[in-house]
Amino acid sequence: MTDKTILSVDNLALSYGSNPILKGVSMQLKRGEVVSLLGPSGSGKTTLLRAVAGLEQPHHGSVTIAGRAIYDAAANIDIPAEKRDLGLVFQSYALWPHKTVFDNVAYPLKLRKVAQNEIVQRVHAALKNLGLDHLAERYPHQLSGGQQQRVSIARALVYNPPVILLDEPLSNLDAKMREEARAWLRNLIVEMQLSALVVTHDQSEAMAMSDRILLLNGGVIEQQGTPTDMYGQPQTYFVADFMGSNNIMTGRIGDIKGGEARIDLDNGISVWGLRRTNAAIGHEAKAVIRVEQARLADAGGHNRTEVDLVTSMFLGDRYEYVFHAGKDLLRSWGTRHEAPGKRWLELPGDAVWIF
Amino acid sequence: MLQTLPRRAVVALLALSVFFPLGLVIYQSVLSGPFFMPAAKLSLESFAFIFDDPDFWSAAKNTFAVAIGMSVIAIPLGAILAFIMVRTDLPGRKWLETPILIPIFVSPVVLGFGYVVSLGPVGFFSVWFQELFGGVPWNIYSLASIIVIAGLTHVPHVYLYSSSALRNLGSDVEEAARLSGASPFRVARDVSIPMVSPALLYVGVLVFFLGFEIFGLPLILGDPEGHLVLTTYLYKLTNKLGTPSYHLMAAVATCIIAVTFPLVLLQRALLKNAQRFVSMKGKSARQRPLMLGPWKWLAFGLILAWLFITVVVPVSGIALRSVVSSWGQGVNLLEVLTLDHFHAVFEENTMIRSIINSVLIGTLGGALAVGGYLAIGLTTHRKNDGLSRFVDYIVLTPRAIPGLMAGLAVFWVFLFVPFLAPLRSTLFSVWFAYAVVWLAYGMRLIQSALMQVGPELEEAGRLVGASNARVSRDITVPLVRNGLLGAWLLIFMIFEREYSTGVYLLSPGTEVIGAQIVSLWASGAVDVVAALSLINMALVGIGLAVALRFGVKLHD
Repeated sequence: MTDKTILSVDNLALSYGSNPILKGVSMQLKRGEVVSLLGPSGSGKTTLLRAVAGLEQPHHGSVTIAGRAIYDAAANIDIPAEKRDLGLVFQSYALWPHKTVFDNVAYPLKLRKVAQNEIVQRVHAALKNLGLDHLAERYPHQLSGGQQQRVSIARALVYNPPVILLDEPLSNLDAKMREEARAWLRNLIVEMQLSALVVTHDQSEAMAMSDRILLLNGGVIEQQGTPTDMYGQPQTYFVADFMGSNNIMTGRIGDIKGGEARIDLDNGISVWGLRRTNAAIGHEAKAVIRVEQARLADAGGHNRTEVDLVTSMFLGDRYEYVFHAGKDLLRSWGTRHEAPGKRWLELPGDAVWIF
Repeated sequence: MLQTLPRRAVVALLALSVFFPLGLVIYQSVLSGPFFMPAAKLSLESFAFIFDDPDFWSAAKNTFAVAIGMSVIAIPLGAILAFIMVRTDLPGRKWLETPILIPIFVSPVVLGFGYVVSLGPVGFFSVWFQELFGGVPWNIYSLASIIVIAGLTHVPHVYLYSSSALRNLGSDVEEAARLSGASPFRVARDVSIPMVSPALLYVGVLVFFLGFEIFGLPLILGDPEGHLVLTTYLYKLTNKLGTPSYHLMAAVATCIIAVTFPLVLLQRALLKNAQRFVSMKGKSARQRPLMLGPWKWLAFGLILAWLFITVVVPVSGIALRSVVSSWGQGVNLLEVLTLDHFHAVFEENTMIRSIINSVLIGTLGGALAVGGYLAIGLTTHRKNDGLSRFVDYIVLTPRAIPGLMAGLAVFWVFLFVPFLAPLRSTLFSVWFAYAVVWLAYGMRLIQSALMQVGPELEEAGRLVGASNARVSRDITVPLVRNGLLGAWLLIFMIFEREYSTGVYLLSPGTEVIGAQIVSLWASGAVDVVAALSLINMALVGIGLAVALRFGVKLHD
């Protein structure tokens, strides 16, 4: 653990009754870094965030913030949520409907017994920072969704917590606003040099917003790394499947040559790809290739196969082609409309992963 | 969300308030005499005595007849009423919502009295009916009449639960049935009613055990022909032996609890089951009402007829009775109009005191009770530990104890505990009994208000640095302010309506209208009873008007 580490979670385990939710999760967050907790629903990502916040009760492991143990099962330390000094932006924003925007943001300072004139000054500074100072006297229900989110962020930042936690921060916005808010939020975090832990179920959101991604699956970390690593170098089938749009085919290993293997697919195709499994020849395996990596080719060749183009779908910025290959539906992207018929499809060997 | 120490203190006080009176009843039931007599020793002779008494068995038989009979009447009528009100284009549905619920808020002893003066042998409506048709086909004092009246006046209870279940039912499941080819009536039969059946089962158990607790109606209507039920049998025991027969009363009370307590537990299990059903509900989009066509006038007429019998007849009877000096065949009511009964009420100190006390216990006592319920609610709020589950069961327990017996038990507590004795003849003893008897009802109001507060609003408070107690004070309680106001108004009405709980606590200084009516009825002071009944209904009416004015929902 370097002194740049601001949040450290070590082997944290948590159960609801006899149902384990977190099965020993360890992670670090460095100062000024944004880490996303990514995973399908039920993977434990929100539970991990809430356990760090002190809203869930783990039974094993430890959590340290800026060198201070806030939870340690072995040492019997469990600092209550209100003493952890963390900022949390709730998925629903959780603004108090009976308080004005100003009072919502001022409340944490009031609890910290900050002098009244300093409260006024700091709240207005925080609101101004987020472009909200003209809304100070409004009540939450008088604000738009985006404004409510900003108030919620202001409230979480006003007392300068060492780490800010964001629980699905964009999921309550509509699709178009979400992309703008994503850029705005990333910019805010970078500009204010915040250390942030973000929960999200959307892989593109995670890749866009964070320096590092932790992919959780069934209460354990499946893989962690930079967005490019996670997308380009998945170590397991789960990661490969979760991180992008894929063509997935099943078959049996036909041949092995060092780090590469040939898979004879159930749909009749045989392709070479990067070997990510220890399965021996003759054993079942899966081939995964990103949709954008599969491409149309002019003629036959290595890792090329003849397939039936069924339809071309126009997606605005590109076309998506749908092919029949045996029982499988394969997809690839291109720039122009293609008429249905027989086509050659190339699955480049360095883009095919065999799990 | 209180801190540990006050939390434990609240729970301990609550447990003591509920279990001590209850324990005293059970302890008293196995003594050979009143507990304050030195000669009393452990024995089962009180049970032997009542089991030997043929009156006890006839009362038990009548009680079952009433409980079963009123369930059979109230449940189908209430369910049909709910379906018509919630799902059809009945004319005047909005307007009917409130009158339908009135029987819940009128004191049963007042209702019973109303039926006597309206439909009794010389009642107003009987006399008019006789003048028109030459005879009266009913006998208000028969057991059948008691059952029918009890059934009709409990229709609103069934209506409340089944209508809210029907409202919660997403219209998508019904629309899916329509699109699959079911006619509106098939939809009701095959989808809507089966889906609210857990609620119906729940309310069925509720009505059945309300039948066990029923006191005011059989007290007034059952007396002339000697139809006893268990509660009235218990009441008559008071004077049966000349000396205080506490051990016998306690034995009867224990018998009643032996039936009602399992029913309460059953109800709790059913409620859990019903909630599981509700959680499957779909989107509650706007529901298209079912077109009744010409049938709607028939439905409308039937509802008006029911309202006429359960509300108009008794209430108008009391109103009329309170302003005439004599009545009967050949009396021109216009010639005997008088305000003498009200003068009589306002000339006697006990009467004035009972009115003042009733107002005090409704307003101040209601507010105190809501405060207490809130404290209990906060101790269990968002805490799912052993202590919370314990509180859940404590809160349910008084539900199984009819008000008459709870009042008796509280009376004993104030007799038994030396340092509480001076409080016995103060209004505090009555308030305490009321607050315990209505604990389950009040807690439901408070808990449903507290559940409205999103958990993340409280978590946000914790995260920014507020302790549990601060969160309660700054976030939870301010957010449930309206709910608390509503609870206060409903508790006010319930406390005004209450009559049986105060019966044994009645002493100079603790008079409340309800108990006063019971005691005056026994002495035959019908004129004053009529005036007091009207005043009682007026108080409830004021509460109802204020509640409606503030938009308080009378049900959930």
